[in-house]
Amino acid sequence: MSQDDIKEYLPLTEATYYIMVALSEPLHGYAVMQEVEKISEGTVRVGPGTLYGVFTTLEKEGLIVKVKEEERRKSYTLTPKGRAVLLSQVKRLGIMNRNGLAVSDRLSPERRNVAGGT
Amino acid sequence: MENALVKKFKWFWAWQDEAEEAWLGEMSKKGYHLSSVGVAGIYTFFIDEPRDYVYRLDYRMFPKKDKQEYLQLFRDAGWEYIGEMSAWQYFRKHAKQGEANEIFTDAESKIAKYTRILTFLGFFWIVLVAVLVGRISRISVDNPYPWWGVIDGIQLFTFLVFLLFTYIIIRLATRIRQLKRL
Repeated sequence: MSQDDIKEYLPLTEATYYIMVALSEPLHGYAVMQEVEKISEGTVRVGPGTLYGVFTTLEKEGLIVKVKEEERRKSYTLTPKGRAVLLSQVKRLGIMNRNGLAVSDRLSPERRNVAGGT
Repeated sequence: MENALVKKFKWFWAWQDEAEEAWLGEMSKKGYHLSSVGVAGIYTFFIDEPRDYVYRLDYRMFPKKDKQEYLQLFRDAGWEYIGEMSAWQYFRKHAKQGEANEIFTDAESKIAKYTRILTFLGFFWIVLVAVLVGRISRISVDNPYPWWGVIDGIQLFTFLVFLLFTYIIIRLATRIRQLKRL
């Protein structure tokens, strides 16, 4: 798959990103909700309506695949295409993070306005 | 003892779903708890002690086998399913501090919900336009009567439904625009 195909899916929303990270191993819906809340340190919560929508879209786009079904609970995991998309997003986030950190000392609330403010 | 049941009619438009959720919550605070939904705005409530419930509405149409998985996901997350009324899916849970009381947790999924309604209405809107255009095109150029002379009851009705659908579509599009600004 070419880089252009991958770019079509980026950037992922925060919810989609965390859901895909959680699906690096097979998990069913509710387990994904718990995992996302845990790994995001409580910053991201995914409601069942949002999760169902993301599952439907990702499955349709071939980024995740159903691997198991028990008592109406389906488990999904990333496809090779899904892994490539997630990896590409992780790289972009790394660049974003480095850029933010590079200016972080200028972002402190105590800092006075350089452009002639108070 | 069997709890008393009360039927109530209440209409709401597609862009007023959040107000509807709030209203159902208020009813529960008064001791009227939604027990089932019927067709065209007919609700059945059971009367019991007042409770603090959160009600949430989704809009979805799907085959039965997909619905099983969907409902299981909501049940696992602590939501009780009440029923479906013209593709509106009704859920509730006990309101708890510090707990997730939303079924949609980002703007994207809320926008997707309104887009599903728009797609459904848009289909009928196109059909209505086709019907209206078909009727108008049949008006002959050398018709001796003025144009309003050819408007019959059915045409007027179709036109009014067309206006109503257009209005609903505009309201929903406005709602989506608001969400996109967040």
